Amino acid sequence: MTVGAPDLGAPRIGVVGADLPRQLVLAAGATPVRILGSWSGPVSDEAAQLPGAVDAVAARILDALLRGAHDDLAGLVVCNDSTAHLRVFYVLRILAERGRVRYPVHLLDAPRGGGAPRDRFVARQYQRLAAFCTSLTGAAPDAAGLRDAAERELRLGEALQRLRRRRRSGRCSGPTALAAYRAAATLPPGEAVAIVDAADHPARGRPVFVTGSAHPDETAYEAIETVGLTVVGEDHDTGDSAWIGDAVAADDLEAATRLLAGRHAGRAPLAARSLTAERIAHLERGLDASGATGVIALVRELDDAPAWDAAAQRRLVEGRGMPFQARVRVRPGDIAGAAHETATALAQALGRGEHA
Amino acid sequence: MSERLAAAVAATRYQKDWFARMAARARAGEQIAIVNADVPHEILRALEIPYVVTQWWSSIIAAKQVGPAAMERVAARGLPDFSLQYDAMPLGEQELPEHMRPWGGLPAPAFAIAERSGDVTQKIFEQWGERPGTETFLLSRTAADPVPPRWWELVSHEWETAFGSDRLDLLQDEIEELTSWLEDRTGRRLDRGRLAEIMRLGNEHAEWNRRTRDLVAAARPTPVSVNDTMPAVMVPQWHRGTQWAVDAARALHDEVAERVARGHAVCPAERRRLMWIGRGLWSDLAMYQRFQEEFGAVFVWSMYLAIAADGYRRYGEDPVRTLAARFVGITDQLYVPPWSSDWYLAEALSHDVDGVVHLVADDTPGGVFITEALEAAGIPVLEIRANNADARSTGAARIPERIADFLRTRVPARS
Repeated sequence: MTVGAPDLGAPRIGVVGADLPRQLVLAAGATPVRILGSWSGPVSDEAAQLPGAVDAVAARILDALLRGAHDDLAGLVVCNDSTAHLRVFYVLRILAERGRVRYPVHLLDAPRGGGAPRDRFVARQYQRLAAFCTSLTGAAPDAAGLRDAAERELRLGEALQRLRRRRRSGRCSGPTALAAYRAAATLPPGEAVAIVDAADHPARGRPVFVTGSAHPDETAYEAIETVGLTVVGEDHDTGDSAWIGDAVAADDLEAATRLLAGRHAGRAPLAARSLTAERIAHLERGLDASGATGVIALVRELDDAPAWDAAAQRRLVEGRGMPFQARVRVRPGDIAGAAHETATALAQALGRGEHA
Repeated sequence: MSERLAAAVAATRYQKDWFARMAARARAGEQIAIVNADVPHEILRALEIPYVVTQWWSSIIAAKQVGPAAMERVAARGLPDFSLQYDAMPLGEQELPEHMRPWGGLPAPAFAIAERSGDVTQKIFEQWGERPGTETFLLSRTAADPVPPRWWELVSHEWETAFGSDRLDLLQDEIEELTSWLEDRTGRRLDRGRLAEIMRLGNEHAEWNRRTRDLVAAARPTPVSVNDTMPAVMVPQWHRGTQWAVDAARALHDEVAERVARGHAVCPAERRRLMWIGRGLWSDLAMYQRFQEEFGAVFVWSMYLAIAADGYRRYGEDPVRTLAARFVGITDQLYVPPWSSDWYLAEALSHDVDGVVHLVADDTPGGVFITEALEAAGIPVLEIRANNADARSTGAARIPERIADFLRTRVPARS
């Protein structure tokens, strides 16, 4: 195994959303840093009002950006992977013009669906992304840079595979796994590998799967696990469905962007931009892989897409003889209680063997 | 009460007759489509596939006061009744008992077509595809990037600059995919010469709307009520690309011009000119005239005539690419700042309004920037957060009471 390029001192490029092909950022000599937000904490009136009615987690991301909490960034990429994130971009675009944001802001618009027209569009978007990164770092992704980035990213992907295997064999709790994913999404790959591999300790609860909104922090998972459950998998983008650890073998940017666009089309379907049928198929794969015995869906208020999936998810899960507990329109301040109540109901159903 | 606009009465009557004819043909086996407002209808027109627009059908459901019942049917299927009701309501209408269905109900469509707008529209249209006999086609929705200044002066001819070639390439390709998909299912073939003629008629239609908008902007006092211009503009919009629509738009223009010439006033004691930003309040259209007597306040502007004037004209050689240019940014123009905020401000100034009522729905971004731009120009704004089609939401928002209070406290009467 070769040693990757040193991360120390690499410019940090912030990322809002889950659509980033990390290899391109790494190949341009930068570290991608996902900005995740949180379930709790105050939101300023400005951040609450400017984007309109949005998921509170996105409002907290905007709030942090406007407060200067990420002013060390060299630039920011905002993904059009949800209405909330797109609105954050529109707000930042205007405020950046007014001098309120200290770094350049770039939109990454990668429609889902696959097929030649969409793949071509996404590949062009990736070329724009690479140009943006190069404008910040001065380093264009060349053959050596793409190879090195691929190697670093794939090693992180292997570590995440090991993490998933540990979760399924009772050697990693859900909160610990989420924290490891956060490290993978925010740190240089080399540092992240060490943290991901250190996430190894017994977890003895009944294995359950989490769907619904993404979890920017461990609040809900901790509440779920207090009732004797362990979260062994999820289908949201801050856990198993994060696009981390994937890379392509390409010697030039044009080939890399074309191949990455194809990978994007085959990624895990995330609630906001995928069909319910795609989500159901993905959930089924997740249940097969994880060995979960029940499913919890927690959907934040104003994050409506997962709420539209819930009825079909219930049919799938209960059709497999497993219990499904859902809570929609969860207010951010209520998450710990909502997660605890939902998990308690699931644990009781599992205890009664209602669906065994 | 001002006299009704003949163009509005005629359009409403035509639409009801058209729906009855279309429904009869559909029940006899003809394939029809349900489509969102922001998909390229012209392809359906060219292939002679009748179509019903989701938002228009929702407005009828709401106007017939069965919106809440329709949303209860959505909820009964385990689906959200709190989310994008304007798109979801027709799904629930399909489940209503016969006696509750407006105009006999929408026959089951063969095709459901939408853009993948926002997070939820695609899932609503996916639900249509779960119904027996209905298939769904989804177009991509790309984001508003770049941002040209004064788009309304640019988009009719310089649309390649306004929207960027990448976005246009994608939608053009997807229109070709949609065309093939429909051709496969109907056995028909798109006549591109026919499509070019439909585009020409659409532009002629829009030019009449532009002239009408300019007449209304310049007229003092205002000669037409927005609850008349809404149907008079929107019904022909859903027949865009037909000679009937051109004639209807011209008839509207001529009637407005005649009213201006004879000094007709919707509100003879006009003392406050108001702008309504947001979707129409279909469940209570009478609300728009409720403030004329007490406050001399008349709504002189709604987005329906204005977007019909500025949003649809596209001139180009290739009808498919030109059609892509018509639709690639239709949502941006109305809802994405600074596209939207710049345009609303320009319209407010050209119509010389004294105050703005701004209905902000959950799925429309950038409301703050619109309000900010207007207030910065000295135009007071009342923001109301509610869903226009869901009477439960608009009732809770106490809209008439808040507008009356707004007029009393923030919108001085002209001397």
